[in-house]
Amino acid sequence: MKALIASPLLLACTTAFAAEPAIGQQAPAFEITDVSGKAVSLSQFKGKHVVLEWVNPECPFVQKHYNSANMQTTQKHASDKGVVWLTVQTSAQATPKDVAALSDWMNTRKAVTTATLVDSGGKLGRAYGARTTPHMYIIDPAGKLVYVGAIDSKPTSNPADIKGATNYVTQALDETLAGKPVSQPVTRPYGCSVKYGT
Amino acid sequence: MASLLRLLLLLLAVAAGPLHAQNALVKTEHVTAELLVHSPDGLAPGKDAWLGLRIRHIPHWHTYWKNPGDSGLATALAWTLPVGVEAGAVMWPTPSRLPLGPLMNYGYEGDLLLPVPLRVPAGFSGSSLPVRLHAEWLVCREVCIPESGEFTLEIPARAVVASADLFGKAFAAQPAVTDGMFTRARLDGGSLVVTVAGVPPALRGQAVQVFAEEPGVVETAPALRPVWSGGQVVLALPLLVNRTDSPASMHAVLRLGSEARGIRVAFDIPGPWPRIGAIPEPAAITATVTAASVGGAGRAAGAGWLLALALAFVGGAILNLMPCVFPVLSLKILSFARHGADRKRALAGGIAYTVGVVLSFVMLAGLLLALRGSGEQLGWGFQLQSPLFVSALAILFTLIGLNLAGLFEFGSILPSSVASVRARHPIADDFLSGVLAVAVASPCTAPFMGVALGAALTQPAPQALAVFAALGLGMAAPYLAASAFPALARLLPRPGGWMARFKTLMAFPMFATVVWLVWVLGLQIGVDGVAAMLGVLLATGFAAWLLGLPNRSQAGTLTRAVASVAVLAATASWAWPALHAAPPSPASTDAAAAEGRAPPQAASATHPANVHADWQPWSPETVETARRQGRPVFVDFTAAWCVTCQYNKRTTLANEAVIQDFNTRNVLLLRADWTRRDQRITRELNRLGRSGVPVYVLYPAPGAEPRILSELLSVAEVRESLKGVAVFAPVANNP
Repeated sequence: MKALIASPLLLACTTAFAAEPAIGQQAPAFEITDVSGKAVSLSQFKGKHVVLEWVNPECPFVQKHYNSANMQTTQKHASDKGVVWLTVQTSAQATPKDVAALSDWMNTRKAVTTATLVDSGGKLGRAYGARTTPHMYIIDPAGKLVYVGAIDSKPTSNPADIKGATNYVTQALDETLAGKPVSQPVTRPYGCSVKYGT
Repeated sequence: MASLLRLLLLLLAVAAGPLHAQNALVKTEHVTAELLVHSPDGLAPGKDAWLGLRIRHIPHWHTYWKNPGDSGLATALAWTLPVGVEAGAVMWPTPSRLPLGPLMNYGYEGDLLLPVPLRVPAGFSGSSLPVRLHAEWLVCREVCIPESGEFTLEIPARAVVASADLFGKAFAAQPAVTDGMFTRARLDGGSLVVTVAGVPPALRGQAVQVFAEEPGVVETAPALRPVWSGGQVVLALPLLVNRTDSPASMHAVLRLGSEARGIRVAFDIPGPWPRIGAIPEPAAITATVTAASVGGAGRAAGAGWLLALALAFVGGAILNLMPCVFPVLSLKILSFARHGADRKRALAGGIAYTVGVVLSFVMLAGLLLALRGSGEQLGWGFQLQSPLFVSALAILFTLIGLNLAGLFEFGSILPSSVASVRARHPIADDFLSGVLAVAVASPCTAPFMGVALGAALTQPAPQALAVFAALGLGMAAPYLAASAFPALARLLPRPGGWMARFKTLMAFPMFATVVWLVWVLGLQIGVDGVAAMLGVLLATGFAAWLLGLPNRSQAGTLTRAVASVAVLAATASWAWPALHAAPPSPASTDAAAAEGRAPPQAASATHPANVHADWQPWSPETVETARRQGRPVFVDFTAAWCVTCQYNKRTTLANEAVIQDFNTRNVLLLRADWTRRDQRITRELNRLGRSGVPVYVLYPAPGAEPRILSELLSVAEVRESLKGVAVFAPVANNP
């Protein structure tokens, strides 16, 4: 109900992302189709931790974390603890070919995700204020946003920098799963622009 | 032998060495990067010298400023220099805004030079200085490519001025620190309010672009409304919802107007910073929509689902009173008089009509949502933006009108199988009349409905469709109630001879609707299109009459069928090019022309000369410019096919007192014409929380929030809203 009331405000604000949720606030509800055409909604994961990851296979920053298996390791770590992982690709318009390509890419990279979501038109991205690929969000079992920002602490496209970087997502997940407050709930995301189109 | 070979290799290495050392140029797919030096006084302690990385981008590609904005990475330079030699921080030239959809980046296109000051230590006395640079840059267009380069350069100690011009330009593009300018800042709710005083006279009153040097604190692309008073400007920068920093001081580069060179300001920020998540919504248009809309309807955007449903229902009921639904309603009155006595038949008809109305609304809304989902910029009423749809409606109304006037009976021209189905299922007629009512009523955005539909279209599909279903229910409700309570139907006179006359009378509103549709068509495709359409209507009428003649013989029927098909086909093939013609040039269809601005003599005939309203075409830039000058602005979002808009235009907006109020305050009157599809207008409507026209927006004084007036505009409302608007006297800039 709350999400319903909030949603009409989406288009009414002057700034592009004025409706994006702040840390500690309710994460916007959504229902969206995944690469297999199945409907996925946030509400179906109520009671679980949910990670949202913005992806774009063509982005060098995404490739940095997938080709080094850093993202998959993070996903596996989350999945082992019963965390739901939703990977999202936002685009101005996703053709069936784009969707198939994304699905193939995720498969060949052996991504460990609950679902890969197709945000054609960018509604989901705008609702969350997603700016970069990757851009990471963690939602707690009560539906509140507990982490938003980068995958790790070294904003480069160089895979060599993964070693020695702090993985903010793993850190935040471990803390929130242990019932502790997240020590770094907001970090500055880095990467390519989310492709909303112009 | 082996030692000779080794010597040879060593010689080769030495020979290759200097070549390698002078590798100051790196060409990639997207940039040509070059390490340059500028030392007008040579390399010596205490003398100014600079290194610089020149990046020439291929067209449309860019690299980033020190704060890259919403995405991207700043270009990074890592120097390897002899002990004691120091390279300072990058002297970033004034950046540009690089928007990409809702995102904003700060950076550079074209030819860029990033200078770095170079200091040699006190005892320096070499004849040259070896410099190595590892540079990394992210170069982007829609896609981003991380690139890097290794540069080596042996700088001679003598003066080097070969790149003096390039360095000169880069220095001139450095944000200036202007003496006598004073900047202070405070936190106010969700904004960082920066006040800059002492702006030189030449730069006052301009638009302002703000580039915060520290990332992660304020929005990158705020809809900034600088408030100028003399040499002071107040800038309210919205804080990022999830900011990564709460600094005690910040720096920013301001670009005023079209100045290429920015001004650098620094300011302290007295705390306390608001906790993340505790920031109130920026007091943007959101609040205005809720506050300014009609009475109780106002809170629809915030009060959610049930209220939206209720508003849609009421709005639907009101639709029945709108002029565009009236002809269809008149048909229903006829059917009432006919079936008034038969309660069961009346109820079945009422239900069929309701189902027809509701289903049509839901399907239309579903189509709209699907098209919007696929990225089309559409709003409510979109179907009337298609000339072909308008043409089809005109043909349909002509046929209904001719039928009512008695030129022909549908029964005699429809194939017998269809006619018998109609006879056996009379309620199919009721269902179809419901569909027809929706087709015609949809553009009449009734009062209250603008808010409800704007809210509906932003909700998930099931909820949005439910709102449109409620709208349909509301529209069908009065008729359904009447069919369920025969007492109401009995109020009509007994069936009799008056019915034939009433039927003929009702042909006239039908034809009036055709006149209106042809006018709309004229604005969309011009006078040739109108002629083509009238030809098609004539042929349609002729064919209907021919086919409707009483049957005498099989051969006669066949001849008439062939003749009418031939006439229709010939006319259609003649008319098709004109109906499909490219729309007339924008100049002839802009707001002024489309809204039929009266020629001067006509204007003076109806109004005294001093109450002439000067409407100009709307554009976001025009609004921005006027507001910058402090001039109040009134915008009429309208369309030729929107009857409510036309009514308001000819009554309230043509009212002498209203025009006089506008003129005395020197309000800039702008018209945004949505007769044809226009993405910019659709986007602006979305921004205002609406999905259809009419919308009336008053931007009062600079800095004040725009006010949205009600859809059924009254003289009193406009005059009341203008009361608070100060009289704007333009500053005589050009004496």
